[in-house]
Parts: sequence; structure tokens; C-alpha cells
Amino acid sequence: MTTAAIEFKEVTKVYRRRLAGQEVPALTHVSFEVGAGEVCAFLGPNGAGKTTSINILMGFLYADWGEIRVLGYEPGDVRAKQKIGFVPENFAFYKHLNAEKLLRFHLALAGGDMSKSNGLIRDLLFKVQLTGYEKLKVGKYSRGMVQRLGIAQALLSDPQLLVLDEPTSGLDPAGRKEVKDLIHTMKNEGKTIFLSSHILSEVEQICDRAIIINKGRLVRMGSLNELLGTGDLVEIVADQLPVEMEPTLGEWGATIERGGHGVRITVAAARKRELAERLWAAGCDVVSMVPVRSSLEDLYMKLVGGGEPV
Amino acid sequence: MKIWTIALSTFGSFLRNRLLIVFAVIFVCTVLLMMAPLLGAKAFAKAGNAQQAEAMVLGMVSAIMFFVSGTGSLLAAWCAADAVASETKSGTILAVMARPVKRWEFLLGKYTGVMLLMSVYVVMMYGLSWLLAWIGGERLHSATWVVLVYPMVRYAVYSAVAMAMVTALHPLVTIGITLIMAVAALMVQPTGHAVTGHWKYLKVPLWVVLPSTSLLSEERFLTITHASVKQIGLLEHLTTLAYGLDYALVFVLMAMWSFRYRSLTRD
Repeated sequence: MTTAAIEFKEVTKVYRRRLAGQEVPALTHVSFEVGAGEVCAFLGPNGAGKTTSINILMGFLYADWGEIRVLGYEPGDVRAKQKIGFVPENFAFYKHLNAEKLLRFHLALAGGDMSKSNGLIRDLLFKVQLTGYEKLKVGKYSRGMVQRLGIAQALLSDPQLLVLDEPTSGLDPAGRKEVKDLIHTMKNEGKTIFLSSHILSEVEQICDRAIIINKGRLVRMGSLNELLGTGDLVEIVADQLPVEMEPTLGEWGATIERGGHGVRITVAAARKRELAERLWAAGCDVVSMVPVRSSLEDLYMKLVGGGEPV
Repeated sequence: MKIWTIALSTFGSFLRNRLLIVFAVIFVCTVLLMMAPLLGAKAFAKAGNAQQAEAMVLGMVSAIMFFVSGTGSLLAAWCAADAVASETKSGTILAVMARPVKRWEFLLGKYTGVMLLMSVYVVMMYGLSWLLAWIGGERLHSATWVVLVYPMVRYAVYSAVAMAMVTALHPLVTIGITLIMAVAALMVQPTGHAVTGHWKYLKVPLWVVLPSTSLLSEERFLTITHASVKQIGLLEHLTTLAYGLDYALVFVLMAMWSFRYRSLTRD
């Protein structure tokens, strides 16, 4: 049996403000798993408990209750940390160092081979498109450059698991695309990626699975296919639709949308073959036929905007 | 290796710390101001009052070194508190602790960084004492290692105390408590005078608990020509230094224990 990269079982965390006598529950009995080699999105609104969960799994915070395993070890165990690359939200670096010195510092902490550091650092900076900025102090970097440098340092020790907390926050569209491409590359290299993000359209393109939390509780999790649905409805685009077919389509419960470039017909998946054959028989050209699924954004809004926890 | 990497990084960031640079400038200006009367004393000696001048020089060198040495204790405490607190405040600790670094390794690295800075301070302090004696027309008469090792051990104690407290308290509170501890340690040392009232019940326990600054003071050995130097055997040196190192070790271990359980985030 393969060990899950991340296991959360009934994890509970309460922030206590002793002087004010307040207790703020951040996580309440949250359980999930992230399998090895998966790209898993961790979604939720601000204050949902995403960063708290990530801080717990990295060993920066302790949970009040529950069991956590990261690559088979307890959070904060150096054996696990040797195999983890981490990019926190709002990455903070020693601003007086330049990229090269900063990466050398992190490589030394990671116990990397310093004799090969020059080549490794050069390759990583090339990968994150920071070649030419090696000698510039990090304090003078733009937000996007800092974020890319964060990804470079996360990749220093060739990690098995990448934990990315809002890796595209504050980036312009070009910067977001670069980060997205990098994640794609890492995915193709077989790395497990645990990604927290607010940009749902990107998550939908990159991730295999999603975990949605709200107000410290798990709301939904599963593969994107499970979450978004894959086959109840099919959208067929034809160049034209004979008027005499409309009553039949009405009986089938199909919706028809006529536009400048053809007709969009949404019909039950069970009827798709019959409809296509009828359209061909009537001399129409079927331009496309795709399964209809709701977007992650629709699902997210439905769940976070008042959905019951599962 | 990891501890040393963190120590060097800490030392490097101290050298770039604006607050420390301002502190160094003010400190140098103050020492220069204090040196003015010393030059006056030298002129007085040339006028023919050699014995009086020597007494003045002795007094002034002692006062300046007391100031410099005392400031060092405060600097050690501040650096130790800042080394940990600034990392948490800025969030840079997350990137470091995401690496295969144990919490105690991080703390020991920080502590070593502080001690590196303090060793530079001690060497400078030694140089200053030579300079002051030379300006006053006198010569230091003490073993070099004693003048270097004793303040280092004292600073090791204060930085360990501050580091232990900053793992649980705000850095300003930490500095305040460390300062009070240092002053209280001076107040409770035995003077030979009889103590009356409730103070006598408090004084002895405090003297036992607080770090004995005077015992670890290099001023006991820092003297110049013509003054008598107290002869101390190696065993007494070892016992005194072991006392200081033991005190520092206890607080470093307390810091590690406390840091083991604290949150590394700003929440």
C-alpha cells in the first residue's frame, strides 16, 4: 500500500487569546488525504483555515487534536522536511541577500551538496526565469520575482511534495501563467502538489483533486470529475437546426440556444447519439459534442455560500 | 553545518542592522567624550602630579570600561531577543524552518550568531582598554585570556536569559526583565554591610538565583601598572567560568524547551 503524502485525521485547532478570554476555532475535525503524485487544490474563503492547516502540516503550529502525517512522518520531522518544498503565502526572505546567496543559504540548510551548488542554482534560476537577476538583492525584487524565487528555493532539494500557499497571489497574468506552467512541469515530473489558491479557473486546469473547507470545517472533497460531474448533460453545437425538430427536443427536455455561429443544444447524455444521427439525417453538420460540467467556481460559490458540511 | 549556516546568517544580519549601526555610532561618540578627561589627566601628569594623575587615570579607565562592559550585557540581551523575534515578525522563520532544521538547531544557530557578534565586541573592548591605558600613559597588567573570556561568559549568560524569555514574551518585555535582572544582581551582591528588615530575607535568595555579574566581571582582573593585581588560581578561574557557563546552558536549554512548543507564525 502506498503511503499517502498528507493525512489529516480529525484535526482540530483553536486559537486562544488568554488575556481576552476568547477562543477562535480555526479547524474543527478536519480529515482528508492527499495521495502520492496527486495535484490537490486546497480551497476556501479567507479565514477558512487553509493557512492554519498548512502551518500545521509544516510543523509551524501544533494541532489541539487529531492525527497528522506528512510523507509518513509527524509534521516538522526533518525526515519529512527533507522531501518537502514549501512556498508560504507572502514569502519573506532575507532582503540583504541576493538570489544566489539566498539559494546557497537554503541549500546549506537542506543539507545539499555545496560543491554542485553553482550549477544547481543557475539551473533553478533559469527555470523560474530569474537568470540575469542573480546578483540583485531580493529587497529590490518585484512581487512576482519574489514569488518565483520562492518556488526556486522550494525546488532546491528536488522535493517529493510541494506545498504551495497562494503561489500566484499578487502576480500579474503573465506571472500567473509562468507559475502555472511551472506547476504543470512539476506535475509531469510526478511530484505531489498541495496547492492553496483563490484562482479557481487555474485550479481547475492544474489540479486532479480539490478539498474545500469553510469556517474550519471540511465542506467537500474529491476528484474534479466527481465534484463537477462528467456526463449527465451533453452540449452539441450544430451549424443549423430544422424548425420541425424543435418540438421533439422540447419533449426530451433539451435547451436550444441559437447564435450567429450555429445552434447550441444541451441534451441528456443518453440522447446524444440519437440527436446527432437526426441532425446528420436532416443535413446538418455537428460542429462539436462535449460533456457539460459545472465550473469549479459555481461549485465553490454553492458550497461556500451556505453549503452544509459533509 | 546547519547551526553554523544560521549563525553566520544571523551575524551578517546584525552587521546590517540599522539600529545596531546607530547604537555603535552613539556608543563610539560617548566613549570619545569620556576620553576627554583622560587626556586632561595625562596633561596633569606631565605637570608633575604623577601619583594623583595615575589615580585619576585608574578611575577613569575603570569608569569607561564599566560603561562599555555593562552596555555589552545589554547589547547581548537585545541581540538575542531580536534574533528570534525579528525572524518571527518578518516571517523569514517559515522559510528556514521549512528546511530539515530542528527547532533547537535554529535556536542554537541564532545563539551562536549572537555570541559571534559579542566576541567581536569583546575584542574591541579589549582593544579600547589598551588604548585608554596608553592614552593615560599607563599599561594594562592582566592576562589577555582573562579579559576576553570573562566578559564572553557574562554575555553568554545574558543572551541565554534573553533568548529563553523571548520564546515566551514580547522582546521589549524581555529586554526590560533582563535589565532589571542585571541591576538586581548588582544590588544583591554581598557588600560586607549588615542588612536589616525584610530585604535580608530577599537578598540572599536573589543573590543565589540571579547571575552574579560581579563574579563574572573582568574588571576584577583589569588593572594597570602600579596597582596590585589579585592573584587567582586556575581552579578558581575554572569554577567561576563553569558557574557562568552552567547558568548560560540552563537558560539555553530552557529556551530550546520553550521554543519547541511555540507557534512559529504571527497569529
